[in-house]
Amino acid sequence: MTPRLHPFTTLTLAACAAGVTTAAAYWPLSVAVALAAVALAARRGVAGRVLTAGAVILTPLCLSLLVLHGLFFPEGQTVLAQWGPARVTAEGLGFALELGTRTTACVLVFLLFSFTVSVPDLVSALAGRRIPPQFGFVLASTLTLLPAVAGRLDRIRQAQETRGMVVGRGLLSRLGALRLQMVPLVLALIDDAGSRAQALDARGFGSPGPRTSYREVADPPAQRLFRAAVLVLAAAAVARRIVASWPAGVPS
Amino acid sequence: MSQPALTITAPGQAAGRRRRLLEIAGAAAIAATYVFLVLTQPADIANGPASFSALVALGGFLLGAVLLIVAVLPALPTSTVVLIPVALVLNVVLGQLMGSTGLPFYIDAIGTVLIAVLAGPAAGAATGALSSIVWSFFNPTVLPFAAGAALIGFLAGMAARGGLFRRFYLAPVAGFVTGILAGVVSAPIAAFVFGGTSGLGTGAIVSAFRAMGDTLLAAITKQALISDPMDKAIVFTIAALLAYALPRRTTFQFPFVRRYRVLAGKAPAAPDA
Repeated sequence: MTPRLHPFTTLTLAACAAGVTTAAAYWPLSVAVALAAVALAARRGVAGRVLTAGAVILTPLCLSLLVLHGLFFPEGQTVLAQWGPARVTAEGLGFALELGTRTTACVLVFLLFSFTVSVPDLVSALAGRRIPPQFGFVLASTLTLLPAVAGRLDRIRQAQETRGMVVGRGLLSRLGALRLQMVPLVLALIDDAGSRAQALDARGFGSPGPRTSYREVADPPAQRLFRAAVLVLAAAAVARRIVASWPAGVPS
Repeated sequence: MSQPALTITAPGQAAGRRRRLLEIAGAAAIAATYVFLVLTQPADIANGPASFSALVALGGFLLGAVLLIVAVLPALPTSTVVLIPVALVLNVVLGQLMGSTGLPFYIDAIGTVLIAVLAGPAAGAATGALSSIVWSFFNPTVLPFAAGAALIGFLAGMAARGGLFRRFYLAPVAGFVTGILAGVVSAPIAAFVFGGTSGLGTGAIVSAFRAMGDTLLAAITKQALISDPMDKAIVFTIAALLAYALPRRTTFQFPFVRRYRVLAGKAPAAPDA
């Protein structure tokens, strides 16, 4: 088995890939980055999850882009077809392709990161840096709370149904049912948070000073060097792109 | 930050000043990015997507959001920090529940507004920005909107401090105004980073303005001015309903609620009052 990558190494790679893709705004590169992300996901065995989550996010976005720019692009010159106010222009279709592939590449790269990273490793890696320790807590707590809340919501719904909650067809009935489920959920969560705060405070969560972690995440020097090199290269590429497009961006 | 500061008060003051500076820097980064983007928006997008504007929008807004988090988070009491995950979970779960009622709104800030009402503007801003960052683990397209989410939390907290949640009919008004500001600030992200909106319904409104010959930023700003104030008015109303539906013993345990008399009604009699 290959040695595990440090969470910051994969995060740096994802951020740099997304940054360079955004800066380049060149659809063959975007497509290549997206395909590379899918290939890596398949190698790590998460291709199904990455593609499902990506499809849920990207399908409405890309359709919206296609309709918006494909039909209405006042700047377009090359008219391919026209129905009343709607004009299909080559420029509009190109713009939609450009932005659609760019967003697809960035989304897939970040989903690959979040579906392959080990959250405990990431949290302990964060705790070792100059990042507020509360950030790691919020991240880990949310990611563990989400599935628990789904289960709790199910139990609340069952309890209210045994007490006679019937979801009717009308909007008022549905809103009423919503209230019957929301209020107990919010109350329980806020109440839990209060007792959690006391438990955490008793263990020194709020006190200042450095934190230590039982979990050691290996960060070999080679990976640090690699991260620094990737960051410098990506920053150089982005800076070059900004300098190249500066005069176009700022009107005199 | 690493020296022990258990008995000396001076480092605490210095740290407070440093945090205040970071807060101001974060807010300034967000404001400056917006002004810069509006002033330098590319007049002709037919030559290709504005990668320069996209980079400026991403960099400036994310920098501002991160500065705000770094400034606010360490100063929050533990009782508020443990509420932030709750707020984020509420944003996601209640957003999905609202979706099940079939209403055409993307109500995804209920938790942020509720925390802002209970714990104040700083907690609201940190919750909004953190929500976007943690949510981006499942949906990376949320990440660029971190600055807008922080603004929503901050304005909700200011409205609560100003007593707008004491009168029930004022909460939607506060939400409406917040929606105008947040929509305007988020429009450059939608325009330059994504080139449109993520929903087909909102996309149709943008298309209508584009058909009248507006620039992309103008069309998306106008669409945001139509959708966002309504959406935020509903979110503020739901948050107010929830705040009043909670037992008074729970809501009045928050110092912010007691100090600024955020909610109408008398505080429950404390045993040692």
